[in-house]
Amino acid sequence: MTPSLPDILLGNFLCMAEAPPPESAGEFMAGKVGVVALLSLLAAQEAERGSAARVWENATLRALLNAAAPDYGAHLAEAARAEDGDLSLGSLDRANATLRRALIGLHEAVEAAGDVQRDHAILRLYGQMAHARRLDMPPLPGR
Amino acid sequence: MTLAERLERYLTRYWDTPTEVSNLSRIPGGASRETYRFDALVKGQTRPLILRRDPPGSLIDTDRRLEFLAFQSFHGRAPVPEPIVLEAEGTELERPFFIMSRVDGGAAASPFTVDPYGEHAQAIGEAFFGALGAIAAVDPSELPLGAAAASPDPAECWRVALDEWAGVIEADEQHPQPIVRAAIRRLRRAPPPPPVAVRVVHGDYRTGNFLHDGQGKILALLDWEMAHIGDPLEDLAWAIDPLWSHYDTARVAGMLPRAEALDIWSRTSGLPVDAAALAWWELFSAVKGQAIWTSAAREYRDGGFKDPVLAISGWYTARRHDEILAERLMRLEGLS
Repeated sequence: MTPSLPDILLGNFLCMAEAPPPESAGEFMAGKVGVVALLSLLAAQEAERGSAARVWENATLRALLNAAAPDYGAHLAEAARAEDGDLSLGSLDRANATLRRALIGLHEAVEAAGDVQRDHAILRLYGQMAHARRLDMPPLPGR
Repeated sequence: MTLAERLERYLTRYWDTPTEVSNLSRIPGGASRETYRFDALVKGQTRPLILRRDPPGSLIDTDRRLEFLAFQSFHGRAPVPEPIVLEAEGTELERPFFIMSRVDGGAAASPFTVDPYGEHAQAIGEAFFGALGAIAAVDPSELPLGAAAASPDPAECWRVALDEWAGVIEADEQHPQPIVRAAIRRLRRAPPPPPVAVRVVHGDYRTGNFLHDGQGKILALLDWEMAHIGDPLEDLAWAIDPLWSHYDTARVAGMLPRAEALDIWSRTSGLPVDAAALAWWELFSAVKGQAIWTSAAREYRDGGFKDPVLAISGWYTARRHDEILAERLMRLEGLS
């Protein structure tokens, strides 16, 4: 998923480091500070949960691809060999990109084959993947 | 030269009379245009105005001429500010821009706040969905926008819209997105029935894109940069997307129960709400949202990570729409 946690934290620094032009110093800057604060809060969630979500998703996709390989092709098992490396977010995302590309191809093949059982299993997995990657917006008060 | 001085120079030339600019201040929010409020003193009178200028990079590439024509089309028909001038070449302000009248005394609610309209949610909802119905009631051929915008065959509205946003994902995706790709395939496999008539589609009609007075009245419908001609259910589905109700499952857009919102829209538009068609456009809305957020993430990176609005769009809303997409795909298969 993009942007990454380092992108967000780097961006929070960069967007506050430059002095704004006069017309952007008031209400606009106050709004920007609010958004940066919100990003920082969400970044804390990503720091807490992001690695675990990626490790889980990658392991789950490997299992799914290996299980499907006998029916849908050995290339799926080949993709499932993508390794998580040093467990940094960047390394996990590189493996995840390989696994997700294989998942997209598998789902297309499953739909074409009319394989309803596996199609439903993949749809349920999508729900789990989205939930694992969620970011929880705090209950912000209205103005 | 400051932006205020450039603007002053432009308006003095445009109106052919000395003009002073004061109180120039950028307004926070949207990422597709830079928006500023200012006062222009001309011939002894102060005119409260808004400047909308193209940014160096934007959330989505939109047609500012169609946006301007949309303001022209609905000013006087709906609470829409009066457009003043469009400059496609940028002139003194370096980038293309347009100027419109300013509506003071209103606020735009964030879709991410709790109960954004409080005790006035019902009244705001009636006005919000009534105004959308009123937009959908107008034959585009009567409007300046209708003369300039492409008008698809009713049976092709879905394909034009889906091709556009699927193309954005294809062009801007930086990490594989299996959920939205599954949704795109599903939409292509089962197209919706055509609309009774093509209409002006605002394109981003939602909580946060209008000003209200805090007492239940809508003062101005804004952000017409994605206006086009198409199936009017596209707007209705976007307006009721769960992203804009921030986990309020009892009301759409944080305003009204769903059935009531649809009924108001149908009465004011004079158009039916076909359940199957609306279900298609609701799934499409989440695809369109994901395309916009995918593009935002690309712009955030290409712009050097300096616009935090693009970061929120490319990150939080993208993940929220993945949840919405997954839930919708499961529901369509009877899995939730």
